Amino acid sequence: MPTIETSSTSVPLQSRVPLVRLEGITKSFGGVQALRGVSFDLLPGEVHALLGENGAGKSTLIKILSGVNTRDGGVLEVAGEETTFRSPAESRNAGLAVVYQELSLVPSMSVAANLLLGREPQNRLGLVKRRQLMREVEAFLETYNMPLNPKAIVGDLPFAYRQMTEICKALMGNVRILVLDEPTSALTGGEEEVLFDAVKRVTERGVGVIYVTHRLSEVFRLSQRVTVLRDGSNVATFATSETTMKSLVAAIVGPGHEGLRSATEAVASDAVAADAAATAAPQVEPFLKMSNVVNDRLRGVDLAVRPREIHGLAGVVGSGRTEILQTVFGLRKVASGELQIDGQARKVRNPIDAIRLGVALAPEDRHEQGLVLSHTIERNMALPRIGQLSRFGWFRRGASVQRSHEAIKELAVKAPGPSTVVGNLSGGNQQKVVFGKWRDPTPKLLLLDEPTVGVDVGAREEIYGVIRRAAQGSTAVLVASSDLVELLLLCHRISIVVDGRIVKTVSRAELGNEEDLHHLIQESQSLAQESQS
Amino acid sequence: MSQTVTAPAVKESPSSPGPKLAKALLAGDRPYMLYFAFAVLVVAFSVMSPVFFSTANFLNIGRQTALVSIIAVGATFVIISGEIDLSVASTLAVSGMSAALAMQHLQNSWYVGLLAALATGAVVGLINGVLTARLAIPSFLVTLGTLGMARGVALLVTDTKPVIINNDTYFAIFGEGLIAGIPVPIVWTVLVMILGALLLHFSGFGRRIYATGGNATAARYSGINTKRVKTTALVLTGTLAGLAAVIFTARAHAARPDVVAGMELDVIAAVILGGTSLFGGRGAIVGTLLGSLIIGVLNNGLVLLGVSSSLQLVIKGAIIIAAVAFSKK
Repeated sequence: MPTIETSSTSVPLQSRVPLVRLEGITKSFGGVQALRGVSFDLLPGEVHALLGENGAGKSTLIKILSGVNTRDGGVLEVAGEETTFRSPAESRNAGLAVVYQELSLVPSMSVAANLLLGREPQNRLGLVKRRQLMREVEAFLETYNMPLNPKAIVGDLPFAYRQMTEICKALMGNVRILVLDEPTSALTGGEEEVLFDAVKRVTERGVGVIYVTHRLSEVFRLSQRVTVLRDGSNVATFATSETTMKSLVAAIVGPGHEGLRSATEAVASDAVAADAAATAAPQVEPFLKMSNVVNDRLRGVDLAVRPREIHGLAGVVGSGRTEILQTVFGLRKVASGELQIDGQARKVRNPIDAIRLGVALAPEDRHEQGLVLSHTIERNMALPRIGQLSRFGWFRRGASVQRSHEAIKELAVKAPGPSTVVGNLSGGNQQKVVFGKWRDPTPKLLLLDEPTVGVDVGAREEIYGVIRRAAQGSTAVLVASSDLVELLLLCHRISIVVDGRIVKTVSRAELGNEEDLHHLIQESQSLAQESQS
Repeated sequence: MSQTVTAPAVKESPSSPGPKLAKALLAGDRPYMLYFAFAVLVVAFSVMSPVFFSTANFLNIGRQTALVSIIAVGATFVIISGEIDLSVASTLAVSGMSAALAMQHLQNSWYVGLLAALATGAVVGLINGVLTARLAIPSFLVTLGTLGMARGVALLVTDTKPVIINNDTYFAIFGEGLIAGIPVPIVWTVLVMILGALLLHFSGFGRRIYATGGNATAARYSGINTKRVKTTALVLTGTLAGLAAVIFTARAHAARPDVVAGMELDVIAAVILGGTSLFGGRGAIVGTLLGSLIIGVLNNGLVLLGVSSSLQLVIKGAIIIAAVAFSKK
């Protein structure tokens, strides 16, 4: 593969012809002006971050770059020559690859087979040379330091590794322009590092990376420049080293946005509130108490969550965070140990039992587990409450519509009404619908798994508000997240999960910032590994 | 991507009803397309055959489609829940045998026949349901198996011989009677349609059916017992096949083990023509009614035009494919 031979040429950025240059790009769909003149360029060896709320035009811009849509006006140049991509194949041939949040892998095939899908080395009879394929893939994975087993079946891999496979697949083609769309939305700790490392390695070879993200911290870690889109225009392009988180948030949100708070300010103000709650909490009996809970994925979990408490679960993907939530919700059997809910030992065989006890779950994968995308808001919100909304078996639609109206209003869901189809909503609004499902009656224990994945900055703040209000109304909240800032913003206490065990629980006040928590996770991880060996 | 939406958070453009209807027709929005196809067929046959457009013929069509329509109501539940039932024709056959034998050997009264048929149908449905939901065998395979088994049992019980029924009340209630000039099979069809529509569109169970077919995982995560929902839908379909068996035997004055083979395809065609998604989560009883009427009108019209039965099969198949293709989004 051409990408394997390394010869990094370090020419200063400025002197190179941009890999891609967009100028004054416009695009409208029907009557809606999605792009109103966007200018953007990408230099070889550069990571250029693209920021903006949902609907700001990021998706449309990427679609024009990748040939899904064609522009109405403006200039698109690739390597200095004006061009138009009429199909994804044309853009791919020009060396541009997009890694979407939704992956294009064949789950039943191995990592190696997926990486070279359609480009397999063949002999004269057209049969695949398996050994050579494996060699090429192994060499590639080694060069990029990707912790992937080429023989593993993609469908068996955790999401983070599937995404890694997807990124590798793009890199293995002859790609000079890589577009990463929210690549870390489901990655944590170790994998994030590997991804960032991989991004650095590709850029060293002169590949340019357009990095779409909602996470500002990644912008600062990874990118040389950052462009902010708002309402279909580029607000500004900054050199990352010369800007601050505060000014980026201001540019994303725009002037006059209420509740504008930079992440750091929020952490500071919340630490105070967290202190108060943490000191008040111990007198209250825990609503959820797990004592040495063991099952196929958990190896002795001890955990207590009190009403009014927001308790975080931190740890790398595959550590057992999600499985703790699933066990409490009756999606996994308890093999031994005790699960206490509301003061009594309970046998929770399925979600029906859990819901009866006042437990609610906003699952990790909204599309697969949380929502029926082809159905309306009203139908989705009614899902867990069909029995309660029925009388003598007849569903009281009026009551359900009323309930949805209230939820839409309270949660500020941006939708015309309860009959809007959920699949048409943005990520943030979809997540609000998931929250709306569980409101009325208010759950006594709210389990949240990655509550803001794929949710833009504005809606994220609103969802945090919803979670905080739930806790203030005496709900116990248990939240698992890969986003450390999120845990610090929300939680009163945070438990570190390593290999199906909670190894440490700290109060919010003991942690200063994201780095402290990151450090703590890494430390717990390596301690656990030492004790094993 | 989780946000493919470009500018507004929601795409929904209200426009005037006139162009909207035309647009829906052109874009193939299923319900409109269906009314349109039905209207075209009726007009075409009325022009081509002098006897087609008459009350007598319409009642005839209604009576002929009664069996398919009744079973298709159950099949709508099954298909919306994301499953399929191929065993309905065999279930009808074995239920008919059960009714006739019960009346011959237990007691010759109409309700014994009815109960025997319904119970037999329900049992086949329950077997389908339990195997599908509890053992997680795809319903396509389960019902392909019971299609053979139910037919085999029907043939075995009398060693392939028909069983005569001799009960005038039974004939009157289910087969040959008239209520206000309308043949009872049509009355039963309407009754089942109405009850089915109420259950599907206005009950908690109906909600669970849609949710289960729309996204079974999300339904389970929301506390819906998806196994029970699927089982119930299959039991309902089996029971309705039992009712169809009663109507069939009441018209034939006998039960025969080898009847209506292949009818499951008409049932499925009616449901899918009616706009119900084969992948689950979407559909409506009114669509199923229209779907089964389209098939009925086709059968009837082609016979009236004197088209050979071989050619009828070809035309029917082509029209079903065309209708679904045009209405595909």
